[in-house]
Amino acid sequence: MMYEYWLASITAVSDLKKRWLREEYGTGKAVYYIEEIQLRGLEYLEDKDVMAVLRARKEKNIEKEWEELEKRNIRFVPYFSEQYPRRLLQTDPAPYALYVKGRLPREDCYSAAIVGARRCTPYGEEMALRYGEYLASNGVQIISGMARGIDGAGQRGALNGGGATYGVLGCGVDVCYPREHIGLYMDIQEKGGVVSEQVMGCPPLPMYFPLRNRIISGLSDVVLVMEARERSGSLITADLALEQGKDVYALPGLVTSQQSQGCHRLIRQGAGILISPEDLLLELGISEKESIQKSDKIEKTLENDENVVYSCLGFFPKGIGQLIDETGLGASALLQRLTALELKGCIREVSKNYYIKVR
Amino acid sequence: MSFSTVLSAAIQGLHVELVHVEADVSNGLPVFHMVGYLSSEVKEASERVRTAIRNSGIKLPAKKTVVNLAPATVRKRGASFDLPIALAVLASMGSFPGEQLEDTLVLGELGLDGSVKEVAGVLPVVMQAKEEGCRRCILPAQNVREGALVGGMEILGVEHLTQACQYLNGECRIEAVSGRMPDEAGKEPAECGLDYADIQGQEAVKRATEVAVAGGHNLLLVGPPGSGKTMMAKRVPTILPPPVLKESMEITKIYSVLGMVDKEHPLMTGRPFRSVHHTVTKAALIGGGSVPVPGEISLAHGGVLFLDELAEFCKPVLEVLRQPLEERQIRITRSRGNYVFPADFILVCAMNPCPCGNYPDFNRCTCTPPQIQQYLGKISQPFLDRIDICAEAPQIRYEALAQEKKQESSASIRARVCRARLVQQERYEGRGIWTNSMLGVNELREFCRLDEAEERLMRKAFSSLGLTARTYHKILKVARTIADLDGSDGIRESHLKEAVGYRMIDKKYWGR
Repeated sequence: MMYEYWLASITAVSDLKKRWLREEYGTGKAVYYIEEIQLRGLEYLEDKDVMAVLRARKEKNIEKEWEELEKRNIRFVPYFSEQYPRRLLQTDPAPYALYVKGRLPREDCYSAAIVGARRCTPYGEEMALRYGEYLASNGVQIISGMARGIDGAGQRGALNGGGATYGVLGCGVDVCYPREHIGLYMDIQEKGGVVSEQVMGCPPLPMYFPLRNRIISGLSDVVLVMEARERSGSLITADLALEQGKDVYALPGLVTSQQSQGCHRLIRQGAGILISPEDLLLELGISEKESIQKSDKIEKTLENDENVVYSCLGFFPKGIGQLIDETGLGASALLQRLTALELKGCIREVSKNYYIKVR
Repeated sequence: MSFSTVLSAAIQGLHVELVHVEADVSNGLPVFHMVGYLSSEVKEASERVRTAIRNSGIKLPAKKTVVNLAPATVRKRGASFDLPIALAVLASMGSFPGEQLEDTLVLGELGLDGSVKEVAGVLPVVMQAKEEGCRRCILPAQNVREGALVGGMEILGVEHLTQACQYLNGECRIEAVSGRMPDEAGKEPAECGLDYADIQGQEAVKRATEVAVAGGHNLLLVGPPGSGKTMMAKRVPTILPPPVLKESMEITKIYSVLGMVDKEHPLMTGRPFRSVHHTVTKAALIGGGSVPVPGEISLAHGGVLFLDELAEFCKPVLEVLRQPLEERQIRITRSRGNYVFPADFILVCAMNPCPCGNYPDFNRCTCTPPQIQQYLGKISQPFLDRIDICAEAPQIRYEALAQEKKQESSASIRARVCRARLVQQERYEGRGIWTNSMLGVNELREFCRLDEAEERLMRKAFSSLGLTARTYHKILKVARTIADLDGSDGIRESHLKEAVGYRMIDKKYWGR
């Protein structure tokens, strides 16, 4: 396996050529020991590829690197391995090898990708959380990119729902990017796994992210786009998913919201529309696990004057000035009610004195 | 008579040291010699004094003149010694009887023509002189009103050196402005043209400032550009209780040292409002110089210090505010000694919610979450910890601009604030504190006791809103103020709930 890893880690040679090489010689070890003349004789290897292989042979201390890999609990899963996700084999090009911390998605479970903008609105974030939570609690694995915004929210939701979630990174699996998601990164490893095709220690470079997106869509059966601007990386994921023959669903938003323009375009192009998590589950043909206790309509549990304030709020943040105008309450009375609602977990303060409904 | 002495004064920081100006005219080589630890502007006085005396029509004899400013250990600065030096020299020449100058303090700068010009720092000097038993002051005519603020003193204003000589010779009379308490003090502050009624809408911010002022809490206003944060801050002094005479004198003293008092109405009957630009240096803010002069925070003493665009201030500059915010005075240490300036003010800060100012309006905000985090990160946590109330100043909407609803005036808000302040003063009598913002942990336990229902509410808030011990204490203090405004003895649930709404933004959750 050490030699297989050696071959996989030659980043200068493309995945396809590495595959041809390995298939011609049978094992990574055999490739390691080919004579230089023989290598040069291979027509699909250019000069620079040969040089890269020779250099890798000379300079790489593979034993040490292999030990390091084991020490960090990083699993190396090449394309011919038993463990290699079957779903990924159908992607083109399939990654030559995966590096995994934690587990890989199960083959027998349905998996859904939740993707979207990094700069998202509280609405998108809340929805990602909700879909992640609901789907995960019904046994759907959530695949995403662990990025800021929608990705992270979707995976956090999955963790809240007690399900499995897998993060596909655009850097080495031992690198946590973005750094503030370190908590999420650790939790995901426990409840699922982080996956990457990049070698250990690889920094998060912009060029790796579109590549990563193909793995996200490849690992999942369905892709949910929560919020995307007109030109967004999430749309790349959606396009790739369509190419791979996966279903794509998009969450509608306000038509005036720039953050939802990409989603609306997808819907016009024929993507499924996300109406509610329950609706989606039904459409995917998954039966709901013993139905979670639906709480009473929240309005009923609120006091009358709290309800006045609550009914003015929505998923887009409203400032206190606007609320005063709408409810006709005084500043101090309004603040009291907002705090009461916040303590009940019905609303959330997203910026100073800006509130959204969360339940 | 060849020797005479005149009383004058030197100012160091805000501290006044009485100085004896001695002159001796004797036979010898005709020199004019000045000694006594003088700065260069005092040394220059010799030229001014001699020329002014000659231009006043008095001939200086060709004799040796020695001037000494005692005590020699005190550094003398400024031009206010010109007149006392001239009078001392003239007295020792015998132009008028030296006894005339007994118990008399003299200040004044001289022009070459003998005219007497105004000087700074008159009020603290006259106050000190009174304390040390003087009964008469000869001041530049422009400074007379300022000197007269100190009661029980005979204040004489002179315009020219000749006039002073004639007076001391008994050849003319100067109408003494007898020291009397100005009747403006302690009354309604002078009309400054600002009023809360000018601001349409913005109820929430108005309420927040009312609470802040009532309890002496520092305030942070967060809002997009053009939301009236500055307008609001400028009006905060109008709802502060008017200063009592003692406070007015204290404030005027500081302005006097810096030569910033109004010549006609020297007493500061309103509370100061100091708006500081974000390029301000540490020295300008807290006071500085080799012999320190008071900075902006002392000029804001008794009033409001306003920092607009808080996130644009240099971090180190904001950090120097931490200690004065805590101690309500600033202690500046130099090799020549310690200087203490009062700095008891309400801090009002304003900032945008993000670099572009539009967060959380996602259609207009162009900032990324890390940018917003970085923007907030410019203000250190210890600094934010000293601000009790945080409120949002919303974008002004058209409806608010168009409506012509009558808004509550500053006077009626001030009445409520005064009532709440009075309650606090009575409650904390004899403890060295007078507002809720000054409560320490022990006093919190004593005065902010919670009943069972309130206790439950706070426990819930603590866990579900992720409060810390510090935010918890701040909420209690603010709730105490709201209860005082409400005229309630105990803190009720409604007070706590409102106070929770004023808590500081949590950086961790903002811009996520």
